Amino acid sequence: MRSLAAGAALAAIAAGWSGAALAQETVTVWFTKGFYKGEDDALLAVVDKFQKATGVKVDLSLYATEDCVTKSVGAVQAGTPPDVGFCTTYDFRTTGQWAFEGKLEDVSDVLEPIKAQIQPQALATTLLMNDKTKKKAYYAFPVQQQMMHITYWKDMLEEAGFKESDIPKGWDGYWDFWCDKVQGALRAKGKRIYAVGHPMGVAASDTFYSFLTFANAHNAKVVDEDGKIVLDQPANKAAMVKAVKDYSNISQRGCTPPSSVNWLDPDNNVAFHNRTTVLTHNATISIAAKHLDDMNNQALTQEQRDQAKKNYYDNIRTAEFPNKPDGSPMTNLAAVKTAVVFADGKNKKRGKEFMAFMMKDENLRPFVEGSVGRWFPTTVEAAKAEFWTGADPHRKIVYKQYTDGTTPFQFVYNYKFTTVNAENVWAKAVNRVLVDKVTPEQAVDEMIARIKQIAG
Amino acid sequence: MTTAAMAPPAIASSDATSGQARDRVFWGVLMLAPYLLVFAVMVVYPVAYGLWLGLNWQSYKALFADPIFVRTLVNTVVFLFIAVNLKFLMALFLSGFFVQQRAWVRFMLVLFILPWAVPSIPTILSFRVMLNPENGMINQQLFHWFGIVEGPGWLTDPTLAFASSILVHIWKSLPFWTLILVTGRLAIAQDLYEAASVDGANKWQQFRFITWPSLATLYVTSTLLSMIWTLGDFNSVYLLTGGGPGDLNHVLATLGIRYMRNNNLDLGIASIICAMPLILPMVWFMVKRLSKGAE
Repeated sequence: MRSLAAGAALAAIAAGWSGAALAQETVTVWFTKGFYKGEDDALLAVVDKFQKATGVKVDLSLYATEDCVTKSVGAVQAGTPPDVGFCTTYDFRTTGQWAFEGKLEDVSDVLEPIKAQIQPQALATTLLMNDKTKKKAYYAFPVQQQMMHITYWKDMLEEAGFKESDIPKGWDGYWDFWCDKVQGALRAKGKRIYAVGHPMGVAASDTFYSFLTFANAHNAKVVDEDGKIVLDQPANKAAMVKAVKDYSNISQRGCTPPSSVNWLDPDNNVAFHNRTTVLTHNATISIAAKHLDDMNNQALTQEQRDQAKKNYYDNIRTAEFPNKPDGSPMTNLAAVKTAVVFADGKNKKRGKEFMAFMMKDENLRPFVEGSVGRWFPTTVEAAKAEFWTGADPHRKIVYKQYTDGTTPFQFVYNYKFTTVNAENVWAKAVNRVLVDKVTPEQAVDEMIARIKQIAG
Repeated sequence: MTTAAMAPPAIASSDATSGQARDRVFWGVLMLAPYLLVFAVMVVYPVAYGLWLGLNWQSYKALFADPIFVRTLVNTVVFLFIAVNLKFLMALFLSGFFVQQRAWVRFMLVLFILPWAVPSIPTILSFRVMLNPENGMINQQLFHWFGIVEGPGWLTDPTLAFASSILVHIWKSLPFWTLILVTGRLAIAQDLYEAASVDGANKWQQFRFITWPSLATLYVTSTLLSMIWTLGDFNSVYLLTGGGPGDLNHVLATLGIRYMRNNNLDLGIASIICAMPLILPMVWFMVKRLSKGAE
């Protein structure tokens, strides 16, 4: 009898608990799984704090980079998206289009009051056109950003007989130095090493990021702020021809591994880590950060950790791009990673609240810093933090690049450039020159025609 | 009277017959129902849904505007023509060797079948590693033995990359078709060869007047089937070169995935439907041949 009563009591508690659980409000959140444990830990801490502060349950799902965007695209098409989504490739692939098609919630009411706390360049990338309302509004949260950096092996440079002070600052001299002098010296020692890891694969986002950095160096403007294509204007076209010539030239002179025409995103990192290349350009400092991660990885041997530490602090250098061909300093192309609240979300009100909570400096900063420098903050205060301005040899260069000035991708002004980039008309123009031996002028004419077909 | 007396049973008999016929139809339909249901769910619905998705004519306009598409169509036809013909000529030749009933030949046949038997993805990826221009086994050896710094661009030169894809496709599927032709050869009565030998026919004459006429039907049917499979071969091209360099080596089977990866489902579907004019005549021709065989 006593056990029956106890059972009944337990059942009543369980029923009461499950009833309470069913009644609890939920907000569904999809995020890209962090590259480093610190990112996920920081996110879980924010979720925990939000749940305690509001009593709202956060149903958090973490997905691998590609799965995250693929799943989101499917869910949006099916009309069953989460309330909040943050995938690190949304900005490259979907945010602009979703905003244009009215699939996103206007979050101006959240961002307007905190505008002053966000870097203006980063904030500007989230002011997007909605074709339904026929006006621009804030449709995304600028969570973190990335820039293009040069990374090189200092010890390999020294092995070639050069010092860092020998590296020229001018554009042409810079690439000539690496391709002719450094590679030449290493080849003379019988080493089959390439000076530059130069991404050229059409399926790699690294390729369009790198190419557009070259185009930017030559001041080739592709669209104006209204999204109108201006690449066919004579000055821009001439600049783009120079960019194509320049970008192809590194391959034509045998300065990059031949397989770079087929590279996917990780391949330039791999070639660099394997010391097949002395230098590579990469969006984020993930190459150096890998050694920082290894140096604290207890699963590795002490010897491996020591080597990783030596690589991070002594052997690997993060550097800025050289000055533009016209002698002016480089303005870095920044990609701002965006979180969105979906218009078809079941609890978008709470979704907005969650993102407003996440965007607070004390919550966002640990999340961004958890990536050990891979992502740069979008808030003013976080960018000035010791984490970036301190003694770390890599992060302080990132900070300098940020303070030198950033510029957005074309897709911020015309979302159809996400398709232009996905199709990688840039890499195709380079391949036309390299493989089909057409002139850079013809390759650029074809590039402009194709861009107009897609985004005109 | 007699007629009248006989009439009711005649009517009853007719009713019984039609009743039996109805029963037969009922049970026939009932027995067929599971097959028809599976056919509808597994074949009719997916095909119809695919065709419905592909009804956006704007997609075809956009498809033909993409410079890669026409090149892809040409690549597909060239890939099909070279890969299938080369594969079947080699299979015909090799089947003559493997049909021998010697122990060491049978052992070699086991080794020969391995490429077909092992999973595609790791084996094709191992080719990719082996053919890598910098670190691949072949170019590394060229560097170590002959000091050649830049070996052939097996995967980076468009022509060589395309040839490599065809080579990998043939390497992967040749054992299967060789085995099919071996079984075809084994079905030919040995008496014919003995009689031909007595009549003084040499090996070539034996092949021409006995082997080939006996194998021709199997050869042509297998070729058709192989063409359909080759048209849908995604792995050889995608895993080896990703359709590269510069999207220059896509075939229809890989182009659809390229569009879908770019979030362009409509173009992906359209590019796959564009293969229909190639596939349908082959399927029709093959079904016709098989029907003839059944008769």
